[in-house]
Amino acid sequence: MIAKDFADQLRMCASCPKMCRHVCPTYFAWRSDSPTPHGRALLIHYELVGTRCLDERGIEVLYQCLECSQCLTWCKPEVDIAEIVETRRREIVKQSMRPSALDDMAKVVETHHNPYGEPHDTRNNWLNPTRADGQRLFYFTGCTAAYREKDIALSALHTLENAGFSVVISSEEYCCGSPLIRTGDEEAGLRLAQHNADMINSMDCDEVVVTCPGCLRVLSTDYPKYGIELNKPVRHISEILAENLHNLGTTDFDGGITYHDPCHLGRHSGIYDQPRSVIEHVSRGKLVEMERSRENAMCCGNGAGLRTLFPEHARKIGSERVEQAKRTGAKYLVTACPFCKNMLASQSDDEMEVMDLTEFIEKSRDVKSD
Amino acid sequence: MLDARTKKKAFSHLVEIVGEEHVQEQETDLILNAHDAWPLSAAKIRAGELLPRADLLVFPKTTEEVSKILVVANDLAIPIVPVGGGAGSCGGTVPIYGGIQLDLKRMTRIYPIDHESMTVRVQAGVVGIDLEEYLNRQGYISGHTPTSLRASCVGGFLATRSGGSMSSLYGKIEDLTLGLQVVLPDGSIVDTKAVPRHSVGPDLKQLFIGSEGTLGVITEATLRVFPTPEERRFRSYTFPDVTSGLKAIRLVFRAGINPSIARLYDPEDAAMSFSMHFEFDEGHCILLLAFDGDHEKVSWEENRSHQICTECGGIDQGPGPSKRWWNHRYDMYYPTRLTTSGYAIGDTIDIVATYDRLEQVYRSMKEAMEQYASVVMSHFSHMYQNGGSVYMIFFMAESDAESSWATYKKIWDVAIEACLREGGTMSHQHGVGLSRSTFTESELGSAFRVLVDMKKALDPKGIMNPGKLGLGVRE
Repeated sequence: MIAKDFADQLRMCASCPKMCRHVCPTYFAWRSDSPTPHGRALLIHYELVGTRCLDERGIEVLYQCLECSQCLTWCKPEVDIAEIVETRRREIVKQSMRPSALDDMAKVVETHHNPYGEPHDTRNNWLNPTRADGQRLFYFTGCTAAYREKDIALSALHTLENAGFSVVISSEEYCCGSPLIRTGDEEAGLRLAQHNADMINSMDCDEVVVTCPGCLRVLSTDYPKYGIELNKPVRHISEILAENLHNLGTTDFDGGITYHDPCHLGRHSGIYDQPRSVIEHVSRGKLVEMERSRENAMCCGNGAGLRTLFPEHARKIGSERVEQAKRTGAKYLVTACPFCKNMLASQSDDEMEVMDLTEFIEKSRDVKSD
Repeated sequence: MLDARTKKKAFSHLVEIVGEEHVQEQETDLILNAHDAWPLSAAKIRAGELLPRADLLVFPKTTEEVSKILVVANDLAIPIVPVGGGAGSCGGTVPIYGGIQLDLKRMTRIYPIDHESMTVRVQAGVVGIDLEEYLNRQGYISGHTPTSLRASCVGGFLATRSGGSMSSLYGKIEDLTLGLQVVLPDGSIVDTKAVPRHSVGPDLKQLFIGSEGTLGVITEATLRVFPTPEERRFRSYTFPDVTSGLKAIRLVFRAGINPSIARLYDPEDAAMSFSMHFEFDEGHCILLLAFDGDHEKVSWEENRSHQICTECGGIDQGPGPSKRWWNHRYDMYYPTRLTTSGYAIGDTIDIVATYDRLEQVYRSMKEAMEQYASVVMSHFSHMYQNGGSVYMIFFMAESDAESSWATYKKIWDVAIEACLREGGTMSHQHGVGLSRSTFTESELGSAFRVLVDMKKALDPKGIMNPGKLGLGVRE
C-alpha cells in the first residue's frame, strides 16, 4: 500500500475542481477525466481509504502519465502527482502487474544495456575524441544520442572540444536507468545505477557531462537518493556551455529561434536560463519564447513510458507542442534533450527545423562563423 | 442502472457511431468521470464513498454524432447525462439514474473570429481558458471569466446559465450568446440564428440556456467578443457596514457607470479575505471596483465612483485590495488541508435579488444558516442597475459522515427557505443541479408548469438528465 504520507495530498487532489487539468498533456491527448492528475489521485485515494483496489484499467491509467509535473506548476497546495504515481508504479512492478510492454522493455535493457535493443558494442565506439588537453570531461552519451540521435552525440563532442575541453568516452557505459526508474522498476534501475557508478567513479576525469536531461536527473538525483554516490559532479552540457560563451561563435540566423524546455531539465532540475543564454549568445538575440515556457512548458509527449505504451497519443502531444512553437513565428525549434528532439522532429514538417542545443551550435558554425 | 441486454445493445450502437476508442464501459473510467465539483460530492469522495455512475460513457466529436447517440438513447429510453468540464458546483452532471454519460470534451473546435461582427463560434467542449487565450492572442476578451475558467467548458457555461466575475459590465452567458445549436432528445439538430436582437417570437435559444441538459444537448454557440480594454483600473473602499456599501454600489450604477468588477465583502468575508494583507478597521466591509475601457472613460468612471463612495461613508483604500483580489481570484477554488479535513464541507449559495430586498435576503439567510454552520460569510458581487447577487459562503463539519451530510442539507434547506421567503431567487449563476432541484417548484411558482410542459413536449420519454432542475425525479 502506498505510503500514508501521501494521504492528505491525495485527499486534496481528489477533491479539487481540476485547476491543473487544462495543462495536462494526457488530458489533451485523451480528452477524458481518466488520464488526468485528478483521475490518478482519485484512483489511489480510493485505494488508500479501502474503497476500491486498482484494477487492470486503473493500472493502465497510472501509466498514462508523463510524470512531466506541469500540474505541479498550477497546484497551489503543491501536490506532486508525478512523485505519487511513480511511487505507486514501484509497488505495481513489485506486484508483477505492470503493462507487459514494459516487461519487454526491461528485458531488452537487461540484455542489451539500452532500451532500443541495439548491440552494446556499437553504443559509442564511433565517437572519436581528438583533443587531449583541457579540462577532462566524461561524456555520458545516453542511449538516445548513442543509437537514435547520433548527430547530437557528435555535435556535443565537437562543441566541447572546440570550447577547449578534453572529452572522454566509455564503452562500459550502460543505460542510465531512467526508463526503468520512471516506470517503477527500481530494482533493475539500481543494477544499472551501480554499474554506471562503479564505472564513473573509477574514471580519470573532472566532471560528467550529459546531453540527456533524463540521464542528468537519474545520475544527479536518483542515484544519491538510493545511496549510490558519484565522486564527481554531473552537469548538463547547457550548464557548461553557458559558462563558456566566449568560446562559442555567433551567427546571423535567417529566422527566430524558439526553445522547448525539457521536463527533466526544467521542472525537475531547475535549469531554464543556461540553454537560453547559449541560444541568445549564438544567435545574437533571436530567441522568441512560446506562450507556455519555463515552468509552464508543455511536455513533448515522450516521457515516463508513454511513447512505449501509447505511441499515437504521445505523438499527438508532440504535434501540439510543435504547433505551439510555430505560433511564435520562429523558424527553428531548439531543445536540449535527445528524447524531446526525437519526438518534436518526428512531428514537425518543413516549416520548422527542430534541433538539439548541440546541433544548433554545430549548425551555427555551418551557417557562418565569426 | 441498465439491464445487461439494453446495455449491450446501447454499447454496440455507440461503438458504431463514435468508434470503440470513444466508448467506455469499464468501472474505472465510469468512476473517474462520474463527478463534478459539487462540494458534497467532493466531501463524499474524501470520505471514501463512491458516487452514482453511468453505465456507459461516450465521447462524440461532432454534432451529428451527438444526434445519433440521442436517437439510440431515445429508442432504448436510456437516461442521457451531458457533461462538459465537470466543473459545476451543484451536482448537475452526476448520473444519479445511470444511463449514458455524454461527454463533450472532444468537441473542441473554435471557428475563426468574425472581426466585423465581433463574434466567435465555438463547440461545447472548448475549455473556458482555451477560448480566452485564443481570443487574447487576437486582441479580444470573452468577458466571461468564472472562477472555474480553467476547468469549465463553453457547453457548461450555457447549460448552467453561468456568470463570470465581470458580468456587471460584459453580462452573463445569456447576454453573451447570439446563436445556439442544440440537439433535441429525438436527435433533431436545431440551430437558432446568430443575431444581436430579433422580434420573431420568443427567443428560443434562451429556452436552452440554463436547461442543464434536461431539454437537449448544446453542441455549438456563437458568442460575443470584446476588444481587449486599453486599461483596467482598480479601486477599493472600506465601509462601516453593508448598508452603506450597498448604497454606494446602487448609486454608482444609477449614475450610469458599469464597473467591470463590483464586489462588496461583508465584515466576516473582508476579515477572512483581506485582513492578512491590508490594514482596515475591524468590522468594516470592503468594496472592490474595477473599470475597463480607454483612459478617458475609466478616469471619469473612477472619479465619479470615488465621489459617490466617499459621500456614502467609504474610506479610500487605493487600488491594492481590488488588484490583489484580481491577481488571486482563482486561489480560493483550490482545496486546502483545512477545507478537506475530516468531514468538513464548504459551499456557496449564490442568490440574486433586486436592491429593495437584497440586504434583507442576505440578513435572513445569514441568520438561518448560522444556526447550523460554523462560519457564514458573504460578498455581494455580480452587481447590476437593479440589484445583484450575494455569495452566501459557509463552512461546517461534524464528527461523522452521516451527521455532516445531514447538517449540510439542513443549511441548504434553511438558507433557500429564507431566500425565497424574502423575495430572492435561489441561484444567480451556479444553476440548480441536485443541490437546489427540490426547490425548483417553489422558486418558479406559477411558472413551473411552463417548464414541466416544455419538458414533456421536447422529452416525452424523460431521458434527458433526469432528476435535475426539479424535472424527471424517479422513485
